[in-house]
Amino acid sequence: MDKAQVERDRERELIARAQAGDRAAFGVLVREHGNEVYTLARRLVGDPHLAADVAQETLIRAWRALPNFRGDAALSTWLHRITVNTAWTQRKRARRHSGPPLDDFLEVAAPIGSDHPEVAGETLELRGRLRQALDALPEAQRRVVVLKDVYGWSHAEIAEAMGISVSAAKVRLHRARARLARHLEGSA
Amino acid sequence: MSVICEMAAPFVANSAVEGGQVARVFRGHAESCLKCQARHAAMARTARELEAMSKETLVGPLDLEWRVMSALEGDLAVARSWRTPIAVTAAILSMAAAVLIWRLRPRTQ
Repeated sequence: MDKAQVERDRERELIARAQAGDRAAFGVLVREHGNEVYTLARRLVGDPHLAADVAQETLIRAWRALPNFRGDAALSTWLHRITVNTAWTQRKRARRHSGPPLDDFLEVAAPIGSDHPEVAGETLELRGRLRQALDALPEAQRRVVVLKDVYGWSHAEIAEAMGISVSAAKVRLHRARARLARHLEGSA
Repeated sequence: MSVICEMAAPFVANSAVEGGQVARVFRGHAESCLKCQARHAAMARTARELEAMSKETLVGPLDLEWRVMSALEGDLAVARSWRTPIAVTAAILSMAAAVLIWRLRPRTQ
């Protein structure tokens, strides 16, 4: 049995125990998926403090909804969906938290595949500008770009999660990419 | 930068991200315009970086697990969204009780 299969079986067992009410098992899942949930939340809402609240609320909602989790999708995919919904409701509640994030560089590990310092520096610089450009996008556009271009969601999945039509999702993506390109040109 | 470049921008960006050709109406322009070609190249690189971001995981708050598990334990189990309504209801009930007690107080003739 390969390592990935062992991991999947282990996770399935933890989910089953958590569904039966075992909080310790759920704690393990929180530890393993917490950063991933926070990362998506951070990219969706921009603000690190709000992202922490979104991550917390997402995991609480996940615990409550866990009995309904059938395992058709991976746990991480399911958590991503809850994160998107939670980010949407929390963002509406906390419009006042809109300060530009400054501490992203401190939070992120070095880029993958960058052994040469020059390449690593250039990639980090581009990634920094990219994050700024993403944060500068209007909320709805940022959400679409993050879900499509970073997380690879389909237009239909995005439309469903955001409660908009598929064509509206495509239009937003269209505009967001153009805006991103212009912002990056402007900051180069 | 020309107006056509601006109009072509979303199509150039989409083609760079998704790998297809620029929409036919702007294809001729994009193939001959250095500005649009530069934008295409920059956007293609941006797309690669966006994709690479999916492999990056940020470090969340260190107390995230504690916050979640405490919330599930009981005292904080009341979801944040319920806190305000509960506080408002408690305040209204307290005021109603105070008014009732005041009205029912024994009076001397």
